[in-house]
Amino acid sequence: MQIQSRFCSHRLAALLISLTFWSGLPGPVHAQEELRIATSYKLMTLDPHYANLNENTSLLSHIYERLVYQDDRLDLQPGLAVSWRAVSDRQWQFKLRENVRFHDGSPLTADDVVYTIERIRDFLKSPSGGFRSYVTGIESVSAPDPLTVVIDTNGNIPNLPLSFSSIFVMNRPAQGFQTTEELNAGRAGHPPVGTGPYTFESWSSGEVLKLARNDDYWGGRPGWPQVTFRVIESPAARVAALSTGEVDLADAIPARDVASLKQRGARIASVGAARINFLQFDVERDRLPGVTDKSGEPIANPFKDALVRRALAMATDRGILVDKILSGYGTAAAQVFPVGLPGTSETLQPEAPKYDEAKALLAKAGFPDGFNLLLAGPAGRYPGDGESLQAIAQSWARIGVKVQPAAAPFSVFNTKRAAGDYAVWYGGASGEAVDIILHALLASPDPESGNGALNFGHYRNQAFDAMLARAESIQEGPERNRALAEATEFVMADQPIIPLYHFHHIVGYGPRVASYAMHPRGWTTAMQTLAATE
Amino acid sequence: MPLISVVLGRLSQAFLLLIAMSLIGFIGVHSVGNPVFNVVNIETATPEDIHAATIALGLDQPIWRQYLAFIGNVVSGNFGTSYIYHLPAFELVMSKLPATLELASIAMLIAAPLGTGLGLLAGRRSGTLFDRTMVKASVSALSIPSFWLAMMLILVGAILTGWFPSGGRGLTASFLGQEWSFLTGNGLWHMVLPALALAIPNIALIARLSRSGTIEVENLDFTRFCRAKGLSSRRILLRHTLPNISVPIVTIIGLQFGGMLAFAVVVETIFSWPGVGKLLIDSIQLLDRPVVMATLTFIAVAFVALNALVDLFYAVLDPRVRLSS
Amino acid sequence: MKAQIVSALKRRRHGPVLTASKLLLASYILVAIAAPLIAPQNPYDPLQIYGWEASSPPGTRGSGGYLYLLGTDGLGRDIVSTILYGLRISLVVSIVSSALAALIGLTAGVSAAYFGKWVDIAIMRLVDLQLSLPTILIALIAIVTLGPGIDRIILALIIAQWATYARIARGVALSEANKPYMDAARLMRLPTSRIIFRHLLPNSIAPAVTLIPIEVGHAVALEATLSFLGLGVPIDKPSLGSAVANGFQYLLTGQYWISLFPGLALFGLIASINLVGEDVRRSLDPRNHSL
Repeated sequence: MQIQSRFCSHRLAALLISLTFWSGLPGPVHAQEELRIATSYKLMTLDPHYANLNENTSLLSHIYERLVYQDDRLDLQPGLAVSWRAVSDRQWQFKLRENVRFHDGSPLTADDVVYTIERIRDFLKSPSGGFRSYVTGIESVSAPDPLTVVIDTNGNIPNLPLSFSSIFVMNRPAQGFQTTEELNAGRAGHPPVGTGPYTFESWSSGEVLKLARNDDYWGGRPGWPQVTFRVIESPAARVAALSTGEVDLADAIPARDVASLKQRGARIASVGAARINFLQFDVERDRLPGVTDKSGEPIANPFKDALVRRALAMATDRGILVDKILSGYGTAAAQVFPVGLPGTSETLQPEAPKYDEAKALLAKAGFPDGFNLLLAGPAGRYPGDGESLQAIAQSWARIGVKVQPAAAPFSVFNTKRAAGDYAVWYGGASGEAVDIILHALLASPDPESGNGALNFGHYRNQAFDAMLARAESIQEGPERNRALAEATEFVMADQPIIPLYHFHHIVGYGPRVASYAMHPRGWTTAMQTLAATE
Repeated sequence: MPLISVVLGRLSQAFLLLIAMSLIGFIGVHSVGNPVFNVVNIETATPEDIHAATIALGLDQPIWRQYLAFIGNVVSGNFGTSYIYHLPAFELVMSKLPATLELASIAMLIAAPLGTGLGLLAGRRSGTLFDRTMVKASVSALSIPSFWLAMMLILVGAILTGWFPSGGRGLTASFLGQEWSFLTGNGLWHMVLPALALAIPNIALIARLSRSGTIEVENLDFTRFCRAKGLSSRRILLRHTLPNISVPIVTIIGLQFGGMLAFAVVVETIFSWPGVGKLLIDSIQLLDRPVVMATLTFIAVAFVALNALVDLFYAVLDPRVRLSS
Repeated sequence: MKAQIVSALKRRRHGPVLTASKLLLASYILVAIAAPLIAPQNPYDPLQIYGWEASSPPGTRGSGGYLYLLGTDGLGRDIVSTILYGLRISLVVSIVSSALAALIGLTAGVSAAYFGKWVDIAIMRLVDLQLSLPTILIALIAIVTLGPGIDRIILALIIAQWATYARIARGVALSEANKPYMDAARLMRLPTSRIIFRHLLPNSIAPAVTLIPIEVGHAVALEATLSFLGLGVPIDKPSLGSAVANGFQYLLTGQYWISLFPGLALFGLIASINLVGEDVRRSLDPRNHSL
């Protein structure tokens, strides 16, 4: 028996060895020219107007294009429109690019832009609202000639071109509107047709998107004959797929995996995201859940006092968040976008923690012993979210503020926040430009105008509202950016939120990609790659 | 006649189980939070957007009405549409099934022969050092929480040695209209660690069972008779002992296969294996209720059906066993 | 009952593995009780933790006079202290839940046997329902429904475990109920509760009690698994299971100590409970006395 069992174990060893041996070989040989990308973006629909989420738009931007393109400095560049100008306070004119053809051969005309706006505004009823908020200010749209679009607005909208850096242009079908179902059916229905550098091949939801080169692309021949996106939601699996060479590129790499990926020969590109993660206070209610004095008795809302907010901000060690929790792949924040992007202030810089001063401020506000609070946040939604809560608890403990961190899954967190269960919480915001975030996060909430949609703490500052409104009435350009920076400086002195960090988008790539140009909006596209030449 | 009543009893029991589970699961997911925050882009959505999305998903209705609507749909074979993927929920579960099925099958293909073999050897030599080591080892192997076992396999098999990938499914090939990993070398290579994680506790379980069976059979008269007849011990073990202990072993294999579907939740999560178990955990986190319900129902039905099959098999194979209600 | 267990423990011949696991289990319980006295750091007190010393490898000397014997986790908590405090949570959760599950299960099983008829049918239907699904799935559904928190975890584990006890207790109680002393008790017109709690329950208890140690082992593993899946204890008070889970994401980056050491502690705990539990069960099993 002994002999036989030994024999068995030999066989097992042989099996294991042969498996290991296979592993040494490269995977099945791919056509040299195929670009394989592992992405975290799920791509839930092929309808470009269904939901305004990076998860859809990042991948669909291969097929569809926008009138205006936002470059990596977030400045507006010509896309399908070569130029645009405000004819008056309430009218815009866009000139379209000549000789652009859709994948089905039909030419791009102004009527297709009219159709696109009609489809978003009048036809689609997607549960998420889609892009409707971008076109609500549009009174009417017309096409006086095939290459001119005239848009009348029902108010002064100086940043209308920015809206068109989000909206994908579709072509008008023979009659009616394309439905979401028809587009999602892919080849069995109406496969998506755009003007973009790659054409649609096949798709299976949540798994794979295959694209082919559009040889007639107006911008020149795209770099890869074939592009395949594999949706791999788990970060660990994306890292594994990149390090075994199954894919040439993987996005949303966790910062802590960067070192080991580099060791295994992958290269890394990263950029500070055009977004902000912050702590937000409820400054409206008189009593707050979870906020008590040291003996556990409820106290009046301390966050109404700017001194308290200021003290807590001074006692926040962003260095730990950025260097330890984000492993260096984050930028400490003092405003809504990383310094250097349009509309940011050079003078607002993140400060090192000053515990003694903070404690003095707190004493001045009437809390020499500090108080207790519950700090809420989502778990696993943003890089470093759950850990940040605990790191902040460590910092604030130093000035006597005892923090009970409470992390919950994202939707649970939002349900509770909406129900008023939280006093102070961790949040995130992103947008096309500084003013959009300022508008949503810090403008006084007003359901009518849609201002302050993310201002869940109900912070109201009329002087700031006026400064923001003035800045927004200025045309795109340095003057507008300066006014936005001043408004930011003004409002941050009042510390309505505590900006924490701008995490970095991190992409890893293998030998078949020569370089990758990061975009602060966090898109992952084949167009950002440069193929390695043999 | 008794067979029919047993089958009917089983069916009504399964039915009751499904109703109870669906009710608890439905209310459970509902009470956790509002999935609408995963549907809209919370960073750009206005309150109206959120309100519109709530209505579009039917979440503004009272919970009992939502449940009745759900049951009505299920009766007509429709579990609803995933909030996140905009796909029919049951279809989504089925699309993840091949990944789970092939993983569980490979794990069982490792566990069954290895466990039986070890058990036979230990039982044959009961009381020896090998036997005692085997018993202690099997208790230890059954003590390891499955998630920690999986992590240690990653540590040893992927991080320290770099032999195997730490997660993911690798390349797949198409067969019968589904994507399978076991058909590609790369896929098999990805499967080694997760399959071992599922297999190791089962090796221990099967080994214990076959050991105690072997000890029992070895003490029976016919084994002694065979030995007296001069048959080689190897022949006795393989031709006489093995068939005699096969019934409980096949039973446990059937039961454990169902258990693997449940434990796949843990192993698949750790190895990022895109199967049914990972879908369940992800959907719970995302509050994707249609998918949670479809997955729970599927796992419960599969588990109950496997149990019934095992009982049936038991009755057919071993005439001493009579089905009782 | 206690004397029985103690004498059983004394009577057994001890192999070296068993002796070792008894010692291990005893020391686990001791250090869990003494954790606040012997742990270098209170990992629940943010003032004692230094975030800048996060992810220090084993043996690092930190500020505040700490020697991080087994390193620190991603937030700067000392791993030794995390293990000691986590052990307390794991043990309390599993022992309390197993004891309550046993109590509830026994009462339900014995009541089912005593009352028969619809009580029996109702209780056993419920038991059958539960036992027809894997425990981990039951625990999962329970914790999702109940929400997070240590008390909720205990409740979820009770829900997941009571049925096993109920089925065994009912079987034993059924055979007990037909014995002459029960007839006598009924003839004496003793109150029902007295019959159940003073006579039927104590006599049916032995076979179910032998289950408890094994079920405590199961409970530790279940709690750890739920916490690992992110459905368990609060983030700032890690149990052994969630300490391992916290380290999982660091495992791939080579910071093995964050999850390895809590994991080893967890494995040792469950293995020693199981080995000792098996032994207790075997020595209390009447069929074994002849051996």
